[in-house]
Amino acid sequence: MNRTVKTAGAAALVAALAALATPLKAQQSFSTTVYFDYSFFLTDGGPNTSGDIDNKFNFRRAYFNYENRWGNLRFRFRYDADNTANITAVDFGKSSTKKDDKLRPFIKHLFLRYDNLIPDSSIMVGMTETLTFKPAENRWGFRSVAKTLMDGYKDVTGVDIRASSADLGASLTGSYTKYFRYGFMVSNGSHYSHAENDRFKKFMFQGTVVPLAGFSLVGYMDTEKRAEDKQATTLKFDANFERIKNLTVTFEWFTYDSDLNTLASGTSYDVRGWSLFGRYILKPGKFTLFVRGDQYEPNTEVGDDKINLIIAGFEWQPTDNAALKIQPNVWYYTYENPDRKNDVVAVMTFFWSF
Amino acid sequence: MNIKRTLLTGLAIGLVVFAAGSLFAQKGKMIQIKGSDTLVNLVQILAEEYMEKNPGAMLAVMGGGSGTGISGLINGTCDIADHSREWKKSEIAQAWEKGVKPRFFVIAVDGLSIIVNDKNPIQKLTLAQLGAIYRGEVTNWKAVGGPDKKISLYGRQSNSGTYVFMQEFVLGNRNYSKDMKEMNGNAQIIEGIVGDERGRGGDEGGIGYVGVGYLYDENGRIRKGLKVVPIAKDDKSPTFLPTNKAAVDSGDYPVARPLYQSTNGKPSPAVAAFIRFEMSPEGQKIVEREGFFTISPKHIADNEKNLR
Repeated sequence: MNRTVKTAGAAALVAALAALATPLKAQQSFSTTVYFDYSFFLTDGGPNTSGDIDNKFNFRRAYFNYENRWGNLRFRFRYDADNTANITAVDFGKSSTKKDDKLRPFIKHLFLRYDNLIPDSSIMVGMTETLTFKPAENRWGFRSVAKTLMDGYKDVTGVDIRASSADLGASLTGSYTKYFRYGFMVSNGSHYSHAENDRFKKFMFQGTVVPLAGFSLVGYMDTEKRAEDKQATTLKFDANFERIKNLTVTFEWFTYDSDLNTLASGTSYDVRGWSLFGRYILKPGKFTLFVRGDQYEPNTEVGDDKINLIIAGFEWQPTDNAALKIQPNVWYYTYENPDRKNDVVAVMTFFWSF
Repeated sequence: MNIKRTLLTGLAIGLVVFAAGSLFAQKGKMIQIKGSDTLVNLVQILAEEYMEKNPGAMLAVMGGGSGTGISGLINGTCDIADHSREWKKSEIAQAWEKGVKPRFFVIAVDGLSIIVNDKNPIQKLTLAQLGAIYRGEVTNWKAVGGPDKKISLYGRQSNSGTYVFMQEFVLGNRNYSKDMKEMNGNAQIIEGIVGDERGRGGDEGGIGYVGVGYLYDENGRIRKGLKVVPIAKDDKSPTFLPTNKAAVDSGDYPVARPLYQSTNGKPSPAVAAFIRFEMSPEGQKIVEREGFFTISPKHIADNEKNLR
C-alpha cells in the first residue's frame, strides 16, 4: 500500500513539474455560478437543520471558476462559497475570534488534468472531483435544487459519512469502447475542507457498463482505514434508463459501513439509502420537469429513524442561453418516527451562470 | 401563517401559469440550434429566411463551438447540433450511454482557407509544410520559400471544430505549437493578421486558418490586406485555392471539409422541414452567398435518407 501511495505521489510531482514547465496559453475562462433560493416551510416543524426559521432567502452556493487549457492539459481553480462553513473570523481590533455565518469563499477545486496520456482517459492531480457522486449528479442534473442522496442527507441527519465531492489526491478515469467506463482515485480522505489528519489514504473505484444504448449500470466502492483497526467502506450502485428521448430515470442505492459508527453499546451500524429520480425535457433549453423520491436510513441498528423525501418541480429558462434558470420545487418529508410531523417546504430556486 | 401560505401559494401558481403560458403560447415549436462558430452566421441567416417564409416557425441559433453543440444534443438541451468536424469517439460513447442516436446532415462545404498578410510574398504551401508550420517545426518563412521573417501562428480554441479538423488533417493528429495564439473566432484571426480596417496593427509574419465564408468583404471581394495561400497536396501536385469550388468538390483542394448538423434520432417534422429548407436550392443559394460551397447530389441523397 505504501508503495502505491509513493508511486501516486511521484506521478503527481512529475505532472506538477511538467505543468510548471509549460507556459500558460490564452485559452482561459472565468465563470460564476450561483444557487440562490427562497424557501418557505409550509409546516411548523421542518427538518433538523431548519430550527425556528420558517422562511429564508439563501445563497446556497456561489462558485467562481478560473480555467485554463493548453492542448491536452487543463487547469481549474474553483472558489466555492456557502454560509454553512461557520469559519472562525479573527477580529484584529479586539484581538478576539468569533464565529459567524458569512458567505465565505473556500477552495473547492485546484487541479490539473491531462487527457489521453492513456487513450480515452484523464488523469487529475490536486484538489479534484471525487468519483463518489458524479454519475448520479450528472443524471439528476439539479444540484441547484438538491444534492444527490448520499451527499445531501449528511447535512440533515448530522451522521458522519466520510464522503465528499472533492478531495486532495489523484485520479484516473476513462473509457474502453463505448461499453465500459472506469475510474480510480487515491485521496487523503479528509476532503476539501480539512488537511490530511492521518496517514491513511482513501481508495475509490468505479466501473460503468453500458450494455444497451441508453441503459447503464454504475458500481462504486471506496475504502479507507480510519485507525489501525478501523475501516470505513462505501458501496454504491446506480442504474440509469435513458432509452426514451428526453427522459432520464435513475435508481441509486448506497450503504456506508464505518467501524467508527457505533452505538453506546459498541454495536456497529451502517447508513443506507435509495433514491429514484427522473427528469423529462419538455422543451429543450426551455422547460424540464423533475421528480425524486428518497429513503434514507441514518442508523440500521435503530428503529423508526428512516426519512422519506419527495421533491418535485420544474425548470424554466426564460432566456435562450442558460444564464438564468428558475426552478420552483416542493419538498415533502415524512418520518418513520411517529413523534415527528411531516414537513412540506416550498422553494423557489434561481440558478445564475455568467 | 395562513396569509403567508396563501401568498406563497398564489405566487407559485402565478409563476407556473406564467411559465406554462410562455411555453404553450408559442404556436410553432421553438427549435434550438447550437454549436459550431464556423456555421453560426450561416445558420442564423438560414433560420431568419426560413422564419420569414414560415410564420409561426421559431428557431434560436447559438454558437459556442462544435463540442458545445454536440454536448447539447447529447444532454438534450438543443434540437440540432451544428458541427464542422465529425463526432469524436468519446462523444459517440457518451451518446450511446445516454441513448442518443445521432443522425447526420451535410448542409454546406467549407474550404478552409490558409491566410497571410498580403505583404507576405509566399506563393504556395504544401500540406506537409503547413503541418510543420503549425506544429512549430518550421518557425521562419524563409524555410518554406518566403522572406526571412519569424512565423506567428493564429488558430482557434480547442473547443472549435476548425481546431480539431486542422489537427487531424493537417497536423497529423500531433500537437499544435505552444506558440500558437488561440483566438475566439474566425474574425479575430483575420484581425490579428490584417489589423484593423485601415490595416493598422497587422502581423506581416502571421498565418491563420479561417472558413472560406470569412474571406470576403460586403462587396464579395477578398478582404483588403488579406492573402489566401494556394495549397498543394505535396511537392509534385498543383496548387489550388479554397475559392475554387470545382477543386473543393473534386477533393483537389486538400483542406476542405463538410459542415454538419445532427439530430437525436429521426428529426421531428418541424426540424425536418428546416433541414429540407437548408438543402433546397433556395437554402443552398444562401449557402453560396455566404461564401461556402453548396452540397453535392450525394450529400443530398444521404441527407434525405437520414430524414426518413
